[in-house]
Amino acid sequence: MSKTKKPREEPTSVLGRLLRGAYWYGAEWYWTVTGGILLVLIIAITILAPVLSPYDPTVTVGGPFERPGGGQVVLLAPKGSGITGLQKGLKVATFYNTTASIVAEKMHLTVRHYQVDKDLFAKVRAGEADAVLISARKAAEALKKNPDFVQVGKPFGPRFILGTDNLGRDILSRLIWGARAVLAVAILSALFSAAVGVPLGLLSGFFGGWFDRVLSLIMDSIYSFPGLILAIAVAAVLGTGVVNIAIAISVVYIPTYFRMTRSQVLSIKEELYVEAARALGAKRHEILGMYIFPNVISTLVVVFSLNVADAILTEAGLAFLGLGLQPPTPDWGFDLNKGKAYLPRGYWWPITFPGLMITLVALGFSLLGEGLGELLNPRLTEE
Amino acid sequence: MRSLGRYLLIRTLLTIPMIFVLVTLVFIILRVMPGDPVKSSIRPGAPQEYINEIRHTLGLDKPLYVQYGDYLWDLLHLDLGTTLSPVRGQSVAKQIWEHFPATLELALAGMLVTAIVGVGLGAYAAHHRRSLADYSLRLYAIVIYAIPVFWLGLMFQLVFGVWLKIFPVAGRISSLAVAPKHITGLYTVDSLLTGNWAAFKDSMMHLALPALTLGLYLSGVFVRLTRSNMLQVLKMDFVTAARARGIPERTVVYRHALKNALIPIITMMGLQFALLLAGAVLTESTFSWPGLGRFLVERITYRDFPSIQGAVVVFALLVASVSLLVDILYALIDPRIRY
Repeated sequence: MSKTKKPREEPTSVLGRLLRGAYWYGAEWYWTVTGGILLVLIIAITILAPVLSPYDPTVTVGGPFERPGGGQVVLLAPKGSGITGLQKGLKVATFYNTTASIVAEKMHLTVRHYQVDKDLFAKVRAGEADAVLISARKAAEALKKNPDFVQVGKPFGPRFILGTDNLGRDILSRLIWGARAVLAVAILSALFSAAVGVPLGLLSGFFGGWFDRVLSLIMDSIYSFPGLILAIAVAAVLGTGVVNIAIAISVVYIPTYFRMTRSQVLSIKEELYVEAARALGAKRHEILGMYIFPNVISTLVVVFSLNVADAILTEAGLAFLGLGLQPPTPDWGFDLNKGKAYLPRGYWWPITFPGLMITLVALGFSLLGEGLGELLNPRLTEE
Repeated sequence: MRSLGRYLLIRTLLTIPMIFVLVTLVFIILRVMPGDPVKSSIRPGAPQEYINEIRHTLGLDKPLYVQYGDYLWDLLHLDLGTTLSPVRGQSVAKQIWEHFPATLELALAGMLVTAIVGVGLGAYAAHHRRSLADYSLRLYAIVIYAIPVFWLGLMFQLVFGVWLKIFPVAGRISSLAVAPKHITGLYTVDSLLTGNWAAFKDSMMHLALPALTLGLYLSGVFVRLTRSNMLQVLKMDFVTAARARGIPERTVVYRHALKNALIPIITMMGLQFALLLAGAVLTESTFSWPGLGRFLVERITYRDFPSIQGAVVVFALLVASVSLLVDILYALIDPRIRY
């Protein structure tokens, strides 16, 4: 069923193939580019976190479970009271532990807190306070019920684009700062795995013998083990912290690098140019370092990219199980762990957005890795 | 001498070094690596005598090679020690045995979902190669793999449990009072065997979301595998021959070709078992499913060292035995596989 293609000149470099574009490579090209764009965005977020994040991710800036887009408050005063704005010494009635009460305290107003079931307007009428400070979302309904009050000025206060979590922290800021932690752990762990796995793979493949056999048995055993469970065991012993978690995850992926490097070395060392180098009197380390290793690098890039995607998911999994970074460091997986408890009450925003971020970042690295893999090995695109 | 018996024997013997390496790996991680399991297991400020006593009961005050010998000797006797907390002195092996059926039930149900969704969609993608459906399914395979399995579970809970209120969001059964008589430990199977329809319906409702979560998570890998295997098989001569004989295309693809593409997929199912277990640990935590994975995670929060070690060793043994099982199955199906 396959259509025969006209033979065309293949661009030899990855960049050349990438520039050749969608016409030649079809879906894979779009994947690579989409993955690349996602990653550029994520890296930009990581670098620009202090500029982009509207609030401190570790501090309570509003009431708990403020809905996405919520946060703003309005001042409602009795008609004819003469209150025209937030003048000094104004006594406002708010509900306890809401964005309104936090905003009022921050502005150094005199605040009277009430339980959520109390009628703030009745308290003002009774003279316990001068005006009501209430969530802008609830203002219209409250005014309808209490026609003797009017809105004073415009809504003000913070605005939480993605809402707040159970401790009243801004979810958007936590997402932005969380990218740093996740990327740091994932990239660090991938580097650790590569730093151990690649040299071992090179040596094992090059020298062979009993060393190769024993090492392969060990690596295959680790490879067959469920990665997350291995990481759980290591993390349980090492404890939390960026480096410890990165080590815990890196143990899982050492065999991936080892197996890839070893199999590449096994095929490359039979190549004619290696034979030629040997005939010319190149030493073993020269052959390994100058003739074999450079040819492994291109595959290494693909494995690295896919590995970072896996590491992100493993880190998120560890954090979800409570074995991630130590709070108050913002961590998406840990936020999901905390948000899970409030899910039955219908608070969807604290768990939706962090999960979405994990997916997007993992997807970025996966797509890039998959796409590069196909571009590096055009035979696969035929399948 | 290439016989099935010889193959089975050699393959079984080859499992021993693998188990040995895995068990040693667990020992190295939990005992040799820097980091003290006891120190991290006890609240800061505990008296030194108490720490010493626990170290003594666990045998951690002995030299490492003695510890290793004891560890292997105990494992050989299937002795996983006794718990430290929350209740001290319970048999770890017994507790693991009690949690095992839940994990088995979830894993089997998840595998079933994966087999149906993954193999079905993969075959469809191969059949309609280079169509929009094909590209969408290949993208699906990448995207579903990038979605954290526990988040997928949370989203299912939100939509089907909290908003639509169709399925329960936690546990295996509404109450232990309705639980069926213990035969296999799998609630769905036990309730069927005893004809307890109320329990069957209830346990199926509880199983639905976790199984769907775990199954979809793994389905991506199987879409890709089935697709690429099918593409290879569809190029083979017997497929061309079948087409030439005028057999309808649908029959050729889904009967003749798929049957032949399934053999390597069975092997891959064995290799993906590790992924299944890792996914099960997360799914169990998401759905409060009382299986081995939740047991492990729970014991980590209690810092119950013997239980952690026991659970990890059991996971290692599970992986080794499943890989053996799959290879035997493969040899039974395919007579070419012999030593």
